Amino acid sequence: MSDNFKLQPIQNWLKKNNWFFYDHQLETLNQSINGYDILLIAPTGGGKTLAGFLPSLHDLINNNSPENKLHTLYISPLKALTIDVHRNLTNPIEDQNLDIRVETRTGDTSSYKKNRQKNVPPHMLMTTPESLALLLADIKAKEYFKSLRYLIIDEIHSLVNTKRGDLLSLNLSRLDTISPNCKRIGLSATIKNKNSILNFLSQKKKSKIINIQEKSSPKIEILETENRVPWSGHMASYAITDIYKKIKRSSMTILFVNTRAQAELVFNKLWHENENNLKIAIHHGSLEKEIRRKVESLMSLGKLDCVVATSSLDLGIDWGKVDLVVQIGSPKGIARFLQRIGRSNHRFDEPSKALLVPSNRFEYLECISTIASIKANLLDEVKDKDGSLDVLAQHILGVACSNPFQIDELYLQIKKAWPYRGLKKQNFKEVLEFVRNGGYSLKHYEQYAKIDLNKNNLYAIKNRNIRNKYRLNVGTIVEAYMLKVKLGNRTLGQVEEWFIEGLNEGDTFLFSGRVLEYQSITNNNIIVRSTNNSHPKIPSYAGGRLPLTSELSFQVRKLISKKEYWKNFPNQISDWLKLQFKFSALPSTEGLLVETFPRHIKNKKRYFLICYTFEGRNANQTLGFLISKKMQRMGYKPISFVATDYALAVWSMNEVENINIILNEDIMLDDLYEWLEETPLLKKNFRDAAIISGLIERTIPGHKKTGKQVMFSSDLIFNVLKKHEPNHILLQVARNDSYRGLIDLDRLGDFLKRIKNNIVHKKLDRISPLAVPLVLEINRQTIDKSEVDEYFLEELENEILSEVGLN
Amino acid sequence: MKTIEFYNHKLQINKEGILFWLEKEIAIVSDLHLEKGSSFASTGQFIPPYDSEETLKKLLNVIDNYKVKKVILLGDTFHDKDAFHRMSSKVRFLFEELIKNYEVIFILGNHENKMKIDSINFYQEYVVDNVRFIHEAVQENINQISGHYHPVASIKVSSKKITTKCLIHTNNHIILPSFGVFTGGLNIHDPVLKPFISQDSNIYFLTKKSIYKFSNKEIESQY
Repeated sequence: MSDNFKLQPIQNWLKKNNWFFYDHQLETLNQSINGYDILLIAPTGGGKTLAGFLPSLHDLINNNSPENKLHTLYISPLKALTIDVHRNLTNPIEDQNLDIRVETRTGDTSSYKKNRQKNVPPHMLMTTPESLALLLADIKAKEYFKSLRYLIIDEIHSLVNTKRGDLLSLNLSRLDTISPNCKRIGLSATIKNKNSILNFLSQKKKSKIINIQEKSSPKIEILETENRVPWSGHMASYAITDIYKKIKRSSMTILFVNTRAQAELVFNKLWHENENNLKIAIHHGSLEKEIRRKVESLMSLGKLDCVVATSSLDLGIDWGKVDLVVQIGSPKGIARFLQRIGRSNHRFDEPSKALLVPSNRFEYLECISTIASIKANLLDEVKDKDGSLDVLAQHILGVACSNPFQIDELYLQIKKAWPYRGLKKQNFKEVLEFVRNGGYSLKHYEQYAKIDLNKNNLYAIKNRNIRNKYRLNVGTIVEAYMLKVKLGNRTLGQVEEWFIEGLNEGDTFLFSGRVLEYQSITNNNIIVRSTNNSHPKIPSYAGGRLPLTSELSFQVRKLISKKEYWKNFPNQISDWLKLQFKFSALPSTEGLLVETFPRHIKNKKRYFLICYTFEGRNANQTLGFLISKKMQRMGYKPISFVATDYALAVWSMNEVENINIILNEDIMLDDLYEWLEETPLLKKNFRDAAIISGLIERTIPGHKKTGKQVMFSSDLIFNVLKKHEPNHILLQVARNDSYRGLIDLDRLGDFLKRIKNNIVHKKLDRISPLAVPLVLEINRQTIDKSEVDEYFLEELENEILSEVGLN
Repeated sequence: MKTIEFYNHKLQINKEGILFWLEKEIAIVSDLHLEKGSSFASTGQFIPPYDSEETLKKLLNVIDNYKVKKVILLGDTFHDKDAFHRMSSKVRFLFEELIKNYEVIFILGNHENKMKIDSINFYQEYVVDNVRFIHEAVQENINQISGHYHPVASIKVSSKKITTKCLIHTNNHIILPSFGVFTGGLNIHDPVLKPFISQDSNIYFLTKKSIYKFSNKEIESQY
């Protein structure tokens, strides 16, 4: 190692543990010393964090007795990660007696500590984007951050293109002005839009990406099971025994599922199989923090055999010796899955292992496509998001809290934040006006304006109260109204309000791995007691909520379209597709396959229209609604529809003749905008925007508003605002958020363009093989939930399969 | 509209929450809370200042269609004592339309405590034919129609819970829902309403489309 790298102490510490510097860690250091801002892309376990800190440590070590000024800032999206990294960094520092002070600052930090950090800055501060925003809203912010030399952002890929990332980008651009000589390092998992992320981190000419590939491709397989893969549904019940066998043979397994409900159900079923008394735990976001921390700590100590988890375990922290990752159901996205696999076997230079367990036949195809995509190094496309205006409103007030600003200067500074590079001056002014007085056309609240021009012609806050209130409302995470689940004195976790609405006293449901009996609600708590029942009465929707990515859906279409791709799959799959080819047609990669056929539902003849779009559940749901509306206008009398990730099925009283008119692009979009105005989704996004932008406070000092009160008010405000100021900033934000989110408008638009003049219509006299899972899904979803009877469904399934010849 | 037999009087409730006593050409409405939106501005929450306009328009649009000469406002017409002065010119105009075209009786509500407006006389109570109109219900055996509580009720319709504003009719008490566009609600099962509700109470659910009547017994049996 060259003499330039005076990292002797770190080297010593590494040697003690039989570790060495990785090449990419040294390269990061080297490039940083040469003046580059760096985006380091590496898989988990690749020593990314240490790489991120080397430049800073190097600088501090060589700068004997550094002053009491802030030198390095480390930002991570998770409080837990921040704490974890702090611990990992303190080890070598203490071991080698280095004079470097490292502290963390999050929402959980005590006010005593926070004050101390302000008065006597540590050399290195580990914090979250929200805490950073708060620090920058302080009067002494400039002074505090002037000395900053290094800025490290961890898990940066998870922040970009979110509102949280928007807020961070605005603060980064402020820091640019305050400490222009600061060098930046971003740490990211493998992702497609690398250049976007680099731009987000730094727009200096001297910036570059260091991209580390896995030394060996991950070993991914689809679990071989005793039982056949079911036709529909989202449970892996058929495979539980086989999964259990794998868990037995591994040291520690993480079982990833897509929803909390799935986690509870799988966990419950595993325990029924658990004859060897393996230590199996559950981990998801609704569980109480203590429970989660306990599981995490047991994991890192190697005391668990298996953890059933949702995306709550997706980011960062070291989980100990996980040697098997199992994904139940499709991961719904390539990058997401890669990141999860990275959890297994933290040793960087060995291939990680993963098992996929599809929960139905279509998911089987998805899993195969996932494996193929990973082999081919394909990744999901992520569309760049424009900076949100509600976040901008919050930020502008934060700037005013710190110091008075000049309007044009602030505008230019904001444009330097990557997501806001396209911000029009007009929109900026609208947002500013909103912050000042609500932005109503007749300026009703001018006399109460929060910020105004002072005698130096700069915008400043009117009084200190505004700063206090601002501090209470910082952040972009708006929590759903949650109720605590209380068993005696213990809090097990939280559930959403809608979950309770269907419960009666005595009903049982699964939570935290137990079957609990609902007793009552008091304040914000649900009182429950334990039961010995092994089967809960209330079923929970276990279907995935993550939509299939475009990349993966294209891969699946490709896979199905040609016989040569699938003819060697297990019989249960290839027979199915063979029959489809014979009886109807295989969907192609271009264009759209539509099938129509009659079926009897409850002795009445109904006409089915199936569109195999493969555009993901959300886009299909929207499309289903639009098609139904169209069909209604044309007199086809649609009854209902159902959507999955692959297709949508509409059934009606009259047979559809002209498909092309129904799927016409222009008429679709008009209907869509009209429909969107009435949806609960728009109201929910409006509520979030109202809170983030500061229109409604999260808490009023002195009174505690319950979640319900806030929700109620925002709905009323929404209706009134729509009528009187239909183009108000917040309504614009709510609409944009809705288009981008569940509706997946862009995707739908692209789809309609793609299929124009390219629709293949198969008129059939009965159900096709490919439609079987969809029709079964209909039965599953339309039967009264309290009557779900597996036996009944099985009977129905056999009936349909015989019809099609697949039995 | 749905008819309510209140002793020997026929009253009618419409889906917006206005009670009509057409025999006497009277319309009764409660808790308008005018200028509630603007009352938050001084605390830095710039709630859209259009609630008063909406509320007054809603009222005028309905009663203009009926033979009504007198309008009884059961209190909390104004959200706070300065509300009257915050009204915009548009709202002021609508307000004046109301008092010009109808004889308006203002009952004093708790939000209007200490309120003094030159052109308005506030009453503690108003009596028509042994029916007492007051702001807040009293535990006396008298025929009374009041508001104040902003009652809402929930009922389950095929495993989905629907919550709406409602009118409570218990023997000789009627409690009206709040009319104001920004007003929230208190559930009828809240302990505060216990003295005024019994198993035999009739609850009238008001939805966008219609009015649904249920006895309290029927509602409670769902829980």
